[in-house]
Amino acid sequence: MAAVRDGVERFGDRMAALALVRPKQPEALPVQINRRRIYVLPTGFGLFVTLLIFTMLIGGLNYNNNPALLLVFFLAAIANNSLVRGHLLLSGVRLKALHAEPVFAGLPMTLRLRFDADGSRDRLGLELLCGEVRCIFDLPAAEETEVAVDAPTSRRGWMNVGRLRVSTLRPLGLARSWSWLRPDTRLLVYPTLDNDAPPLPEALGDGDSPRSRSHGEQPHHLRDYRDGDMPRQIAWKASARADRLLVREYEAAVARDVELDWFALPAMPHEAKIRRLARWVVEAERSGSRYAMRLPEQRLLPGCGPEHRHACLRALALMPGDSERHDG
Amino acid sequence: MADTLDPGLRRWCLLAAAASMLPLWLQLPAWLAAVLAATGLLAAMIQRRLPAALRLLLTLMLGGLVMAAYNFGIGRDTGCAGLLAMLVLKPFETFSTRDARSLLGFSLFAPFAAFLQDQGPLVWSLSLPAILLNTMAMAMLTPGTSTPTLSWHARQAGFAALLALPMALAGFWLFPRLGSPLWGLPQNSKAHMGLGDRMTPNEWLDVLVDDAPALRARFLGRTPPREDMYWRGPTLMDFDGQAWTRDLALEQRPAPTLRPLAPTVRYEVTLEPTERNDLVLLDLPVTAPPIGTFDGDLTAVTAEPINNLIRYVGSSSPKMSYVQPLDGWSRRSALALPPGLNPRTRALAAQWRSENPDPRALTLRFLQWIRRDFSYTISAPPVGINATDDFLFETHQGFCQHFSSALAVFMRAAGVPARVVTGYAGGHYNGLGDYWLLYRKDAHAWTEIWLDGRGWVRIDPTAAVAPDRILDTVDDLQARQGGIAGLAGGVLSPMFETSDFLRNAWNQMVLGFDAARQKSLLRPLGIQEAENWQLVLAFSIGAVLALAMTLWLLLHEQRDNSDPLVRAWRRFARELAGTGYGKLSHEPPLRYLDRLAGLQPDLPPIVFELGRNYADWRYAGLQLGDDEKTALTRRLKRFRLRSVKLAG
Repeated sequence: MAAVRDGVERFGDRMAALALVRPKQPEALPVQINRRRIYVLPTGFGLFVTLLIFTMLIGGLNYNNNPALLLVFFLAAIANNSLVRGHLLLSGVRLKALHAEPVFAGLPMTLRLRFDADGSRDRLGLELLCGEVRCIFDLPAAEETEVAVDAPTSRRGWMNVGRLRVSTLRPLGLARSWSWLRPDTRLLVYPTLDNDAPPLPEALGDGDSPRSRSHGEQPHHLRDYRDGDMPRQIAWKASARADRLLVREYEAAVARDVELDWFALPAMPHEAKIRRLARWVVEAERSGSRYAMRLPEQRLLPGCGPEHRHACLRALALMPGDSERHDG
Repeated sequence: MADTLDPGLRRWCLLAAAASMLPLWLQLPAWLAAVLAATGLLAAMIQRRLPAALRLLLTLMLGGLVMAAYNFGIGRDTGCAGLLAMLVLKPFETFSTRDARSLLGFSLFAPFAAFLQDQGPLVWSLSLPAILLNTMAMAMLTPGTSTPTLSWHARQAGFAALLALPMALAGFWLFPRLGSPLWGLPQNSKAHMGLGDRMTPNEWLDVLVDDAPALRARFLGRTPPREDMYWRGPTLMDFDGQAWTRDLALEQRPAPTLRPLAPTVRYEVTLEPTERNDLVLLDLPVTAPPIGTFDGDLTAVTAEPINNLIRYVGSSSPKMSYVQPLDGWSRRSALALPPGLNPRTRALAAQWRSENPDPRALTLRFLQWIRRDFSYTISAPPVGINATDDFLFETHQGFCQHFSSALAVFMRAAGVPARVVTGYAGGHYNGLGDYWLLYRKDAHAWTEIWLDGRGWVRIDPTAAVAPDRILDTVDDLQARQGGIAGLAGGVLSPMFETSDFLRNAWNQMVLGFDAARQKSLLRPLGIQEAENWQLVLAFSIGAVLALAMTLWLLLHEQRDNSDPLVRAWRRFARELAGTGYGKLSHEPPLRYLDRLAGLQPDLPPIVFELGRNYADWRYAGLQLGDDEKTALTRRLKRFRLRSVKLAG
């Protein structure tokens, strides 16, 4: 739900770039929101009500109309107290942890943020803004809440979460109280997968080609769909029966080490090489083979399993860029 | 783009807006109120946006109706009705959160507008729930994942209202007021009834059955007898045969000087708004109240029309003599009669005068005539062009206007200067509040004649009517019409007395508060007349105190819900910090006690025993019975470091 930001909100966003706005530096989790970093500004509606109250105040004073003045001061006090209440709703909220499963660049990354709070106050109607994505959540007293927001990814490597905004319009919608969170957490983004990569390179040594095994007639078993699986591997009929996407896993009768060699790749752009190797890592892991990888200045020994897959993809994700390589 | 409003939420917003409109709606003429209510209901029921042309047409039609209801006059009342018409049309375009917020905001204006017309407690008691509903609706419009229950919203709104009280009261009492308005209150297009510039004896006056209060008066000190309670309003000098009117030229002259012949009485008048400039004072006023000045006819007038309830202290003496003689111009005016009219009255006056020219004797004879031959009735028969002749010689029936006018005409014809004075007579004593209430229907007219060497003297010919000849009074008429007021004199009298007492208390406490009274607020602090800066300072202090109180309440809204034993331990640990070695926040109790034992070896063993007991319960899964737990809590709480001797 990407609501249109009103003028005051945009103003607040612009102010966030100022050096004075807290937090000034990215900070380690857990982070607790205290009064020094809560900002409160009226919303458009709040400005409208303020103008209204002011008009009524002038009118009431001019006519010395006491009941009207009592009404005006009553409204003004309610509005004023709502600012304090909004502030108190945020004060004491704590971001305990932030984590996210790595994704391939280009896919949205689901950030999971765990919040809790001090005190016995129910904090309802909080809003987390991450980039352009808003997520509204409640934080009941003495409970932890996990909030998931999708953040877009564009480049491989470490991604900074950047500025997150926790805010609330409660209690009356007259003002937005907000606080910026700048967790120093770095999140890993894998390289984008090469979509038309050639098949895995031949295994080392002699013997049957892994290709024939990899595409044998009998599927070994079915497993859940994972990001990066080829559409042609999806078992459509089985998926329809199971009501979730299933993928055929082929038996690799003889595990042979696959060598994924940076230097063996044909001449192609730097990033394209990374994308192709990333695809091969995924393929090799899926085929069940052990695979080794040789990168400039780095060598990963043969292995397999989720940890090895992650190590390889991480190494690829953190490869220096093309320009950096030439400079250094 | 704009999100659409959930129908349930929309209903709530419309309800809140309707509650806000209610006080204003009650002030409209009945048929206009019905039309607006019907439009509002229609607008609330239609769930989709109407074409712009249709909405424009509706707006124009309602605007036309509003103008027609007030005879196409532009005034405060027209404006208020116009505001209501706009608010009633607003639901036709309320479909998003944004629309709903603007509806709620604008509808807050409605109670304010209602106060411009009626400042009574009724409007306030209707406005308060309206504000609560409005804040509830505003809260419902804020985004959230869960939908709290209605009672939760109601509690929140009630709590917010309670919290707002200190601040609101501080603002109300202490916010600096304007001594004089920046601009005048727009007049109503339909004038209120009341004492006027004009009296036409032949005309029926609505004021005679108007039950609205006109003024309340409280005597400071001695209360004069009821038959002396004539409350003086405008003086009417010019007579054209039909109507008595004011002589504005004469009123421009300086006020006459008077010498009291009887002790003065002091009293405080709370005058309901009249939209006119005349104050009402007890006959005869000695001095004008500070807010007014005497004109040449001894009527106290203010600079601005009285649009709000005002209060002033007056002093009067029932008997006074005029120091200066009547000047030629005034005497000519006070003797002028329209030529050719009322020949029989003139003839009789000339005849009586030739028999005895003394004004006192003439008056006495006239009053005896009235007592003998005349009746009081408010349903007086119609009279012709010679109104006074017809009244005196044909119908013999009338009310105060006829009597006072006839006496004045007769005296003028007899060569005695005379004029008519309007005002209020009598009053209804309220024992609860010790004050006198005068309704608009207590409006009265009497005559003043000029006696050389004494001045203007009040004669009330109406009072001369024999009691058994009072045929038809206002109360009789109302009893016949079956109004509530008809009952007022009977069974319900105590109820009316109480309700008016409450009304008067509201007037005194809320309505009568103004810049002058605000200046005297700081009198208990020894400041007689507060300067503006002192008021600003007082306001700031008051506001800060109110805000501090609000904050304190807000912070204590969250209670420490942890176990009493845990709380007792925390207190105990704070107490132990007095040794100079406080517990670090990451330190478990036992390790802290170990550290403390090393640093302060001569702490009594009770400290360590208590700490171990607590740690066993908290961390070692020791089960404690309720009694044991209470005992441990109490011992932890009662521990005082002071009672323990510390070495060094």
